[in-house]
Amino acid sequence: MSPTIVTAGIDIGTSAVKAAVVRSGQGGGRERQDAVLASRVAERIRRRDPRQVIRQCYEAALAEAGVDSKEVAYVATTGEGELCEFRVGHFYGMTAHARGALFLDPEARAAVDVGALHGRAIRLDERSKVLGYQMTSQCASGTGQFLENIARYLGVTLEEIGPLSTKGDAPEKISGICAVLAETDVINLVSRGISVPNILRGIHESMAGRLVKLLRAIRAQGVVLLTGGLATDEGLLCAMRDEVKSSWKAGAIEVRTHADGVHAGAIGAALWGAYRHERLTTKSSQKEIGA
Amino acid sequence: MSQPLSEIVDRADTLYNDIDLAQVRATKERTGHRAVGYMPIYVPREVVHAAAILPVGLMGAGDRIEVIRGDAYFQSYICQIPRSTIELALTGRLDCLDGCLFPSICDVIRNLSGMWQLLFPGKYTRYVDVPQNYERAVGGRYWEEELRHLARDMGELSGHAVRDDELRASIDVYNRNRRLLGELYRLRAEEPWRVPTWEAYLVVRAGNVLPVEEHSRMLEDYLAAARSADRPPRDQSRVVVVGSFCEQPPLGLLKTLERAGCFIVGDDLVLGARWIEGDVSLEGDPFRALSDAFLTRSVSTASRYEATAPKGQSLISTVRRTHAEGVVFCAPSFCDPALLEQPMLEQALDREGIPYTAFKYAENLGQFQVIREQAGTFADSIKLWSEP
Repeated sequence: MSPTIVTAGIDIGTSAVKAAVVRSGQGGGRERQDAVLASRVAERIRRRDPRQVIRQCYEAALAEAGVDSKEVAYVATTGEGELCEFRVGHFYGMTAHARGALFLDPEARAAVDVGALHGRAIRLDERSKVLGYQMTSQCASGTGQFLENIARYLGVTLEEIGPLSTKGDAPEKISGICAVLAETDVINLVSRGISVPNILRGIHESMAGRLVKLLRAIRAQGVVLLTGGLATDEGLLCAMRDEVKSSWKAGAIEVRTHADGVHAGAIGAALWGAYRHERLTTKSSQKEIGA
Repeated sequence: MSQPLSEIVDRADTLYNDIDLAQVRATKERTGHRAVGYMPIYVPREVVHAAAILPVGLMGAGDRIEVIRGDAYFQSYICQIPRSTIELALTGRLDCLDGCLFPSICDVIRNLSGMWQLLFPGKYTRYVDVPQNYERAVGGRYWEEELRHLARDMGELSGHAVRDDELRASIDVYNRNRRLLGELYRLRAEEPWRVPTWEAYLVVRAGNVLPVEEHSRMLEDYLAAARSADRPPRDQSRVVVVGSFCEQPPLGLLKTLERAGCFIVGDDLVLGARWIEGDVSLEGDPFRALSDAFLTRSVSTASRYEATAPKGQSLISTVRRTHAEGVVFCAPSFCDPALLEQPMLEQALDREGIPYTAFKYAENLGQFQVIREQAGTFADSIKLWSEP
């Protein structure tokens, strides 16, 4: 399968931009079994112009992969794609995360994408076709932005959240429905002298409760991969596993994570970009974009 | 030097947001002409124009006013456009209109014409009942008489009787406008990344309030600017939008569809401006020419009676002609014509294996997240899972 196609995926979230560069051979079809992740970069937006962050993130991903922008056959976005003026195509978040999840873990048959503002469960088949999905409602409770706010109140860094949470041995219950109520709960817990690990553990359990309900709603089975901004949060992973253990038939669900889970959307977009590039370069498909 | 694209679009956007009809008032002041409003979908604007009257398209108020008094006139199961139109009128925003035409779209618009007569007894009001019979000797004769009647009325209103040569000249002016609209739609179907639908829509809709000659110049300027704009090709799913021929979707909805990964390459927005396909003849009796054009070259749409053509034939032909990959049924809530026709169109698409999705809107809709999800997944399903 040569020559190689180089494609880039950019996942533009509310609080961070993730970019990935993927190499794959011609004729790989949807599966692209020879695809290799050449680079992945994440950059937090932090009140900057998102367009500038997107450009920086993309260029950093190209530099890490040792690729010139002219070599990139297709730049695909997911998330807030309209902010990226140099995109060729755009894929919906679920489609991109499903593809990225399958690439990172070929046994995955569901993904739980936990981002800054939403959490969503996606059921997929062995080709990464989305078979069903459920999202959290508009309230930000149970998502990354909420967790980040709480971490700031508690004076802990984002990196400390997971390890601290796993040390919690007597977690306190936090509202799982409303971010405002949950924040009030946390204030009360602090004034009652509850330890930071137990507060964080309580928050993770609350989030896990909501996310597992989504998994139940989509009738997930088998391996579930955590993706999105909180994919590598060990506190959330721990709480998810405990929640599954207590509420699901043994062995029906296995929650996994992957070191590149944060980049699943960008990776999925890049892989779909490679597939679309291949389709569009055939004569008949050229007509599809009027070229 | 050609006008920059952004300037043209900004001007069209200003006109779109001009619910007080400041542009119409200015035109009246400048020309001394009268102005007559018309509801969607089709009225023979040539006849109005020939009487030296400015035809003004009325398409509700979108999300730009809060409807309070208008709600008192309609039941909860009636669409939004008559409510906001009544609200505009009762708040004095349509005072500059010297009359109003109500084409036969549906019962709601028919009832609205009755309300208008009661609410504004001093204003000219006419229900324009188009023929249901497409034989020249029956429906043709009827429609020709209706056109002559309308011409007499317009002549009396303006004090300028419509002469045949003037009507022919007006037909010529509208033929040019229709050709330019056709050119715009062709360019969008060929290179949709050059012509975002929300932009094209604003430019087309400016024709509701601008004199037709000025609107044609705007179309020419936009076409030139769009053709030379530096807009790279994009890979999006090509769709035809159906069902938005009367109450118009909010601009945000059109933007949402495109942001979700769709290129709209065909639609029935502002359909009245493109009702006659091709030129109306400039030969012979101009009333007969207008009538013949209506009988033989009207577009296919839910509110037009078609005795012979199978339902969906025209939609499928639009899909083929524009190389569309799917159809988005996008109809206003409670729109009887659009929603009653939709199942028949869906069946026709099923037979042809053309994918489609459907949702409803109201002109004052403000939240598009659900539509974005639906359109996004639909666009992806076409791009990734349709047969190569």
